Amino acid sequence: MQSQLENIVERISSRNILHGKKLRNNLKKFDEDYFSRAEIFLNKYQSLLLSEDKTIEYAIDCYLQFLADVNFESIQFLRTGEYSSKSFEEVNRRVYSDPEVMEYYLHALLLRQFLLPQNYNILLFFNKTLHQNNERIHSYLEVGGGHGLFVSEAKSIIGKKAKFDLVDISQSAINIAKKMITDENISFILSDVTAYKPTLKYDFITMGEVLEHVENPVNLLQHLHSILNNDGKLFLTTITNAPAIDHIFLFRNADEIREVISSAGFAIEDELCIYSEDMPVERAEKYQISMMYAGVLIKKN
Amino acid sequence: MERNEILKQVNEVFNDVMDNDSIVLNDLTSANDVEEWDSLAHIHLVVAIERHFKIRFGSKEIQSWENVGEMLDCIVGKVK
Repeated sequence: MQSQLENIVERISSRNILHGKKLRNNLKKFDEDYFSRAEIFLNKYQSLLLSEDKTIEYAIDCYLQFLADVNFESIQFLRTGEYSSKSFEEVNRRVYSDPEVMEYYLHALLLRQFLLPQNYNILLFFNKTLHQNNERIHSYLEVGGGHGLFVSEAKSIIGKKAKFDLVDISQSAINIAKKMITDENISFILSDVTAYKPTLKYDFITMGEVLEHVENPVNLLQHLHSILNNDGKLFLTTITNAPAIDHIFLFRNADEIREVISSAGFAIEDELCIYSEDMPVERAEKYQISMMYAGVLIKKN
Repeated sequence: MERNEILKQVNEVFNDVMDNDSIVLNDLTSANDVEEWDSLAHIHLVVAIERHFKIRFGSKEIQSWENVGEMLDCIVGKVK
């Protein structure tokens, strides 16, 4: 029987042949565990859609609109070598403060979560990191946890012994996270993370794909440094060469990310770099192929 | 520039972007005939062709080509 993931890929393919080819090739790279995780995630997502009187066709519409945006931004990026948005104010006006844009954007991000193989590799790396550090984690913070995948994974591994907080700048993102995360013992905090000043410091902080959305990534990491325990760890993911309507800070390669990490007072304990395309590094660099970066960061001595 | 010469040069750009020297294009070639021609490759192709011929495509043009022939028609109209 066709899985939900395969069904979604077929529906997208019927409306966008070129992208359908890419997604069908991606499906060949996935194993049984991936399909099983995707099924659980997509079941939750279907419930969310149902609660909003929407169907999977609506989600596919959102995804194709998102794809058109990304393609447009990608062509501009390859022509100019820059992201089109330069400031938070600009992105806020263009995306975050426009409920219509936020609506399709968040649904597209949810659907995309299980369409890209690199997301799965990052999730497995996150899972391994949590198992290695489980004993020491009594307080957990997630920054920008829209799809709820990381915090759900953390909750299942760490269990009830830890306090779980999730902070996000967008009420729309929090609303979606609340529906995607079935566990109730998580505090959702609506705030710009740099304005968030908790009374207690955290043992573990996760910040997935936020750094590229800010003007000054060093400042953001320095703030996380200040709310992390001295022996705490920060699980960070970000991306290079990935034009999107709300990406501001352009990392051109992993070294530029490492430089920002170091400037903020962190050392890298472990890391994972995955290009979005299977090709030799020289070609990936020549064509500015985006690379997902995940790092486990500790405070420098 | 003659249409045949443009096809020859577009073929060279295709081979470079797709990293496959065995691709031979004609007017009827479509994405169904070239395994490597997917959504990401298409974007790189568009920008590489723009650079090669020193032209600029519009957003609607990029999405409208059904095959190489339609792409060539568009390039012929822009190359002096």
